[in-house]
Amino acid sequence: MTISMKLSPLITLSEPGASRGGEALEPIPPPKPWLVRLLRKPFFLLVILPSLIAAFYFYGIAAPQYVSEARFVVHSRGNDGGGPAAALRAAAGGGLGGLGGVMSSGEANSIRNFLSSLDAVVQANEKLDLIELWRRPEADFLARLWFTEPERIARFYNHMVNVTLDPMTGVTTLRVRSFRPEDSRELAETLLISAEDLVNRLSQRARGDTLRLAQNEVEIAERRVQESRAALIRFREQEQELDSAGAVQAALVLRGQLEAALAQARAELTERLQFMRPDNPALQATRNRIEALERQIAADRARHTDTNSSLGGAVLARQLASYERLMLEREFADRQLASATASLEMARVEAQRQQLYLSRIVQPNLAVYPLYPRSFTNTASIFLGLAIAYGIGWLLIVGMREHAA
Amino acid sequence: MGFRDEAALVLRGARMQRRVIGALIIRELHSRFGRHYYGYIWLFFEPLLLGSAIGLVHLLKDHPAQFGPFEFFAIGYIMYFIFRGVVNRATVAVPSNMNLLYHRTVTLPDIFFARHIIETISCSGVMLVFLLALFAVNGEMVEDPTKIILALIGMTLLSQGLAFIFAAATEFMEGMERGVHAFTYLVLPASGMFFLVEWLPDWLQELALYVPTVHLFELMRDGQFGSRFYAHYDLFYVAVWILVTHLLGLAALRITRRRLGLE
Repeated sequence: MTISMKLSPLITLSEPGASRGGEALEPIPPPKPWLVRLLRKPFFLLVILPSLIAAFYFYGIAAPQYVSEARFVVHSRGNDGGGPAAALRAAAGGGLGGLGGVMSSGEANSIRNFLSSLDAVVQANEKLDLIELWRRPEADFLARLWFTEPERIARFYNHMVNVTLDPMTGVTTLRVRSFRPEDSRELAETLLISAEDLVNRLSQRARGDTLRLAQNEVEIAERRVQESRAALIRFREQEQELDSAGAVQAALVLRGQLEAALAQARAELTERLQFMRPDNPALQATRNRIEALERQIAADRARHTDTNSSLGGAVLARQLASYERLMLEREFADRQLASATASLEMARVEAQRQQLYLSRIVQPNLAVYPLYPRSFTNTASIFLGLAIAYGIGWLLIVGMREHAA
Repeated sequence: MGFRDEAALVLRGARMQRRVIGALIIRELHSRFGRHYYGYIWLFFEPLLLGSAIGLVHLLKDHPAQFGPFEFFAIGYIMYFIFRGVVNRATVAVPSNMNLLYHRTVTLPDIFFARHIIETISCSGVMLVFLLALFAVNGEMVEDPTKIILALIGMTLLSQGLAFIFAAATEFMEGMERGVHAFTYLVLPASGMFFLVEWLPDWLQELALYVPTVHLFELMRDGQFGSRFYAHYDLFYVAVWILVTHLLGLAALRITRRRLGLE
């Protein structure tokens, strides 16, 4: 009514027309009913009427929509137990560092992406019937789900399900709307479970990747150690020698003794020559001993090292070479095994650190009061938007009219 | 007067307005560049030279990770040039065309429409030349031309709304034109020409997205090489800006016209 009072210049329009006509011979048309006059106003037709329709829809027809909200963080166990960095982050994260981990915003981002993806819709649709859920009888005609194709359900889903990640605190907020409080909570719960599954999958994958490589290394090292041990045993059986290095030691000692005896015999001979004639038979014994010793030394040398000699020559040198090679191999294999084990240990620690958790901060709630649709905000913004568009249109059209005048 | 008569009147007016704007475009070109043909060349050369200069400076200075600096800054500057040209010239539009207003068929918005059409067409032409040249040199195709066109239109409309307001404000306030000049340079760092929103820290991203031109630059770069970064823009927000500035600006121009008529 007030609107009609305010916008009723039809009379004022008709008056100049009548006055311009000079002596008004033509009869003044009877004033039309106020409703007709009101309906003729473009502002009423284009702005107020649509706003009234919108208000009628939002306040009279629109079915209440209940919101269920859940909040969670994705965090990894982390390696900083109580360092200053952890304390700082805990302060920044609003005390969430108390959960004993590091917020991983990359993972939180992928969870958010997942939750708004077609995959999440399909998974949720398998567990709950989304079409049924958004087509409850109480749902109004405009707000209900119209389509059954997965892609279009996904579009509707993204309209009804809102996932936001606060980069400062790392808290992801999931808000689900539907026409029944239980439905909202159930869908939020289902989505959280899908997200948890995804987090577990991601974390298992990361663990597996880290550990598998280290375990492979350990296996290789173990095989090498076994092989080197086996080769040593085979060598010992073949050569009937427990310790080639010891054998060489013994041979060297024997050689040394022989050399010493030889040197002593020679010294004795030289000493006796001082006071005996060279053909003295007493010297013959010494000479014999020297000769015997020299022969034995030569034989010994040939046996152990001279490769030119006939079969069986240089046995000890050969044995020693293979023995040392085997020992070296064994040592290397041992070291490799030790380092591989150490890195496996480290990989285990790393994998522990990469373990991701999805911790719920706020469980999905059961709504009591329907927060949506936002009747007043929507109606007001429709009115404002139309009024602005009308204003611009009016200004432009008036501008055009001026040209023709 | 019935609806049909009214519509016919408006239609006649619209046809007349189109002719007036066409004539104003020709007049504007003549008065700005003289009657010589190289004047028209200057129309294209101004953004071309400035765009290349800005692009070259950045080519020597720094390299954004995802794309060549030249295509990033030169194309961005051409887009900014629309904003700068439209908003900067808005303050002199009314005084320099004052004598035209003696003709009843010429209205204030017509003058602006004519100038903005010139500005946008020349910048779009230069941008087309640049994009073709870049395609010839780098072999890089624009990913989505419709987004670039949409961004150019949005930029023109937003600048137009601001230009209306500034032009009206100049009539009411002394020294406004200097303020507007300073304004166009001061908003340059915040306009979105020099950055992508995703390069900014989180708290600054939120602030940057309050600036309407940032959305338009993001939209244009989404069209240019959208697959290489994550674009943040909300066309609804830009539309609200455009509508509100147009409403205020057109209304303010009507008031201005009445004021001028009294003098």
